[in-house]
Amino acid sequence: MLSRSWRHLCRRYSQAVTFRTTENSPSQHNEKQEGLFYTMNPDLCKQLFGHGGFPKSFQLQTKTFTETAIMVRQPALDLMNCIRASDMDKPVIRYVLYGEKGTGKSLTIAHLLHYVHEEGYLIVHVPWVSEWLRRVPRHKEMSNSQTREGLVDLPLDAAAWLIHFKSQNQTLLKSGDLKISKDYVWSKRETTEAGAPLAALVEHGISRVKYACDVVDALVDELKILSTNKQCKTFVAIDGFNSFFYPLTRLNTPTKKKVKPEEVTLTNSFLKLTNNDWSNGAIVVTADQLAVPDDHQESYLPRYLLYKKGFEHLDPFVPIEVGRYNEKEFLCCAEYYRDRLWLRGPKEIETELKFTSACNPYRFMEQCAPL
Amino acid sequence: MSLFIRNYKPNSLATVYNTKLWRLNSTTTDSALKKDEEEEEFRVLDILKKRERFQRRVVRRTDIQPDRADRMATDQNWGNVWPGPKTFHPSSVPLPLRQGYVPKGQAPPGKKANAELMKIPNFLHLTPPVVKSQCEAIKQFCTEWPSLLNSEEAIEKHYPVEVITSDYCHASPTIRNPLARIVTLRIKLSTLNLDKHSKDKFIRLVGDRYDSTTDLVTITADRCPARAQNLDYVNYLLTACYHEAWNVEEWEKDKTEDDMEYYDWNNNTSKKALVNWHLQTKNENRTLNDDEYKAFDTSEIPYAEEYKNAVSSWFNDGESDATVKNYGEVVRKLFGLPEKK
Repeated sequence: MLSRSWRHLCRRYSQAVTFRTTENSPSQHNEKQEGLFYTMNPDLCKQLFGHGGFPKSFQLQTKTFTETAIMVRQPALDLMNCIRASDMDKPVIRYVLYGEKGTGKSLTIAHLLHYVHEEGYLIVHVPWVSEWLRRVPRHKEMSNSQTREGLVDLPLDAAAWLIHFKSQNQTLLKSGDLKISKDYVWSKRETTEAGAPLAALVEHGISRVKYACDVVDALVDELKILSTNKQCKTFVAIDGFNSFFYPLTRLNTPTKKKVKPEEVTLTNSFLKLTNNDWSNGAIVVTADQLAVPDDHQESYLPRYLLYKKGFEHLDPFVPIEVGRYNEKEFLCCAEYYRDRLWLRGPKEIETELKFTSACNPYRFMEQCAPL
Repeated sequence: MSLFIRNYKPNSLATVYNTKLWRLNSTTTDSALKKDEEEEEFRVLDILKKRERFQRRVVRRTDIQPDRADRMATDQNWGNVWPGPKTFHPSSVPLPLRQGYVPKGQAPPGKKANAELMKIPNFLHLTPPVVKSQCEAIKQFCTEWPSLLNSEEAIEKHYPVEVITSDYCHASPTIRNPLARIVTLRIKLSTLNLDKHSKDKFIRLVGDRYDSTTDLVTITADRCPARAQNLDYVNYLLTACYHEAWNVEEWEKDKTEDDMEYYDWNNNTSKKALVNWHLQTKNENRTLNDDEYKAFDTSEIPYAEEYKNAVSSWFNDGESDATVKNYGEVVRKLFGLPEKK
């Protein structure tokens, strides 16, 4: 028993060098760490991704592996380089991540969130747009907007997102340096005055769910003003952005009328945020096949997924492809899975798995599960 | 009479048969003859029938001429032997032909009394020397090929319309084939006299009959029963499309950017986005109207020309890895971002 655990330890130690990097700060990552795994601090992980952000299967895996390890990959490094190199006085640059299903677009965003968190950005992160527009649980809260005629509010979703926003930006909001530029009158008795901290606005949205959507809209305006005035740097990450441009959502009004995405207040707010009429920030969105129904998944290229409307909204943007594993990444991943005992058996099965999974990260993980 | 011929044998028995034959015809005289025989000699009781057994038929064959195929001269004129189309005849063809299905290992049956050879159509009347001689014979009715039409290009230039029909030749009771009525007309679009608008309209009118890779318009007609009717119809269609293409209808003025046949960057929002971005980088806050956007000179923006080409190729050439990559590179240059590794 003792010898077995000793052997185990030896093996782990010997392998630990090859596929892991001890550099756990994403701002220090460079080409040397490409293909290697770094471990995220569990507390930070809870803060950033406690209310969503990881794909479900990855979330499960982190529980199984008892750690959150993310591979340092080329698209993320590329994006970090671009963000570092971009001129913050110029209008904000939009980046579009695209790639086949399961290649790691969402995890690239997760890696970047960690990076911008370290760099002190204010994070505006939408974990999955389809959660609002396409997933219809039994009691989806919907109401007609009070302030904007003909639009539909999703108050519970907006409030949940505000909680997510608050938890991601705890430190920045606590400091109270960010002030509101104008008065917001919600009702006769409720107002948020100019000069109040941003946290108060967010708190109002969470406690008064009725106004959550209007708060999100106000927050977007404020963030644009704040970052243009150089009071903060803002990083916007929206996963499944193309869902905003698919002609129909799965929402129905009480009168059984189909709701279009542009009739939802949240859509309007976030489309406003992704315009390039502000500066001192960065916007990363993904065009994902999974965000739209099966009938619109023929290609993974951005214009097909975003439609002409979405393309014109984002244009000019920087397309960044998230591809399958290359040789080195695949070997590192296999080593990592062996280390976590997710993959066992002779060394030869790796070539076979490489062939059957076609180096697709998600499929590789799936196929290793029963091994 | 036929009975007689069948039993005719040129020997001594002939008389016996003759009498027998005669006997069949008249029974009365027959009995008289019997009496005569009885008078002449005693009949011998031939119990074992020895006599008849010895009287065996002597088979003598008539002289059969050798096969005609074997008697043919090697230097004969084949066109005279087989002048026109006809069913196969083994004696006329001096070839050791075999045809037919047999179990494995056996030779197929020979040409004589072979129905398989007679079933199939043959072209024995169209041997190369015969064709040659017939061509020689009809040459006097032909005119000379125009010397200026000496190349494919020249023919295409002077005769741009190509009409394709098919003739069918087969051995069946009728010489008509319904497929012979189909007429296909082919013409290069560039040879038609069309301007920008009419060309676009013509392409929309003919729809999938136009192949953009070869620039060919192909019109096929098979709705009429006769070829001449179909030919008229095809010509009518081409003429109608051509003249309709030159017409400008009132509703054509309502054409929007989405209806355009190609992506014109100058008229699209992509240019607006670029100009807006450019004005913002220079901190100029002014809003332009549509005409000002269209008239805006983008040459002052670095990489604007490349950007224009990248967006246009993305829309016009279709979305592919290459066009997206190209666009990405140009946008990086435009924004001053590092190159992708």
